[in-house]
Amino acid sequence: MDVSAIDYYANHGRSFLHGARALSKIIFAGLVIASVVISNSFYLLLAVYFSLLTIAIWTRLPVLKIVTIAAYPAIFALIFAAASWNGSWVSAGVIVLKALSASLAMVILIVTTPYPDVFSSIEPVLPRIITEGLFLTYRSLFVLLELTDNLVKGLRVRGGLTHGRYIKNVVNFSSGIGLLLVRGLDLSERFYGVLNVRGYSGRISGGGRHEKTGVNDFAAIVIGVLIFGAALLIKKNGELSVYDGCMLAISLAALILSAAYVVLPNTWGRAWKR
Amino acid sequence: MSHMHIPDGVLPVWIVTAGWVVTALLLAFCIKRVSSIELKRKVPLIGIISALMIVGMTLEIVPIAYHINLTVVAGIVLGPALAFISVFIVDLLISMFGHGGVTVVGLNTIIIGAEAVLGYYLFQLFKEVMGNKSMFWESSLAAFLSLFLSTSIMLGVIYISPEKIGSIGHLVSGTGSDTNGQRLLEDGINFSRFAKTVFILSPLGWILESVITGLVVKYVYRVRPDLILPERA
Repeated sequence: MDVSAIDYYANHGRSFLHGARALSKIIFAGLVIASVVISNSFYLLLAVYFSLLTIAIWTRLPVLKIVTIAAYPAIFALIFAAASWNGSWVSAGVIVLKALSASLAMVILIVTTPYPDVFSSIEPVLPRIITEGLFLTYRSLFVLLELTDNLVKGLRVRGGLTHGRYIKNVVNFSSGIGLLLVRGLDLSERFYGVLNVRGYSGRISGGGRHEKTGVNDFAAIVIGVLIFGAALLIKKNGELSVYDGCMLAISLAALILSAAYVVLPNTWGRAWKR
Repeated sequence: MSHMHIPDGVLPVWIVTAGWVVTALLLAFCIKRVSSIELKRKVPLIGIISALMIVGMTLEIVPIAYHINLTVVAGIVLGPALAFISVFIVDLLISMFGHGGVTVVGLNTIIIGAEAVLGYYLFQLFKEVMGNKSMFWESSLAAFLSLFLSTSIMLGVIYISPEKIGSIGHLVSGTGSDTNGQRLLEDGINFSRFAKTVFILSPLGWILESVITGLVVKYVYRVRPDLILPERA
């Protein structure tokens, strides 16, 4: 999880998804996850994954990095698929594709939406303590990641983490985590003091960059509805599953075209940069 | 591997929904319980501990697909109610980064929350039985037992929903024959293999996490004993 990179992408991206409201993208991600939940068709799930890869390209962010972040659950999905092995590669593929598609949908949401916008969108359905906890956790995360980085560097420089001395390494590293905990708690007390000085009254409001619903919101929701509609139709009417291959071909074509659009800098790439 | 990295759509909808309902009820109970202990003051504390757990989860031990959770540390420092709230926040946040399914956040909160709550109570028990010395063995044993129990809960959740796991294979295999379906739905095959995989891979992670938990608690007890034993504050 490269939280710093995710935060940077969310705040500095300029794609159509970055211009959409957080709620529209949450609906989009929700619809994709719902289609992943109801679908057991290998080809359809592959088509959904290719469609999400295409959208990832459209975000104009480093696609490989996004795909790598979203591929993390595949490790555990592979273990689960191996444990549930029934002799069919397709069923194992379904489990892995479900993990990859749902994860990529969430990562697309989070790399195109600053976290205060996401949290303020889900605030109405969560208790206040949870929303505040989410805000403060996210904020503390960056501080702790930096402290961890410094800690590991410090341990390495002073010989606290050396090759071959594994027990000593574990002891030093654990003490380091203890140090992070103590410093983190001091930090939390400072947080509280600063929040009080600034008039903290038990509520932290979100960013809300995009107040009006526009074409970008419409596009995000339509893509989600199309993906969910296809999954629902095939789920309800098994005979339509013969069109799985068509959907796969269309999504693959869209992926290849989008990829070509990005990787040909001397032709369409100019238009992309504009 | 005490929490579920199971993808969205693999477990049946009813069990996922039940997970959310139970989590909502437990959260309501925890929030009501901590409302009297300066909730506003505790929110930053929850934030820091939750962030620490997420940092722990980024440290992946790839060969055994294990990462430390620090849930027992959270349970010992925050207490059971706040630790459960903290676990929910962690699960919700990491699901946004694609770490674990979104639909299984409810179930994950129950499993990891149980780990934190059990860790707290087991630590209190061992502390009474073994006495206050370095706190290493008390917290290590509490962590090991909590991890074993929470992993068992996780396997229990999967055990009561094997037909869904089988049905994926049945549906995508395209045979649709009763014989093949019957073979796939002999749930003992999938579940026992999964349980074996988990119990082969996990103990190494449990030991490592127990040692780390013990050392972290030992360090914190040496530096800030009031965090481990609030009565000393």
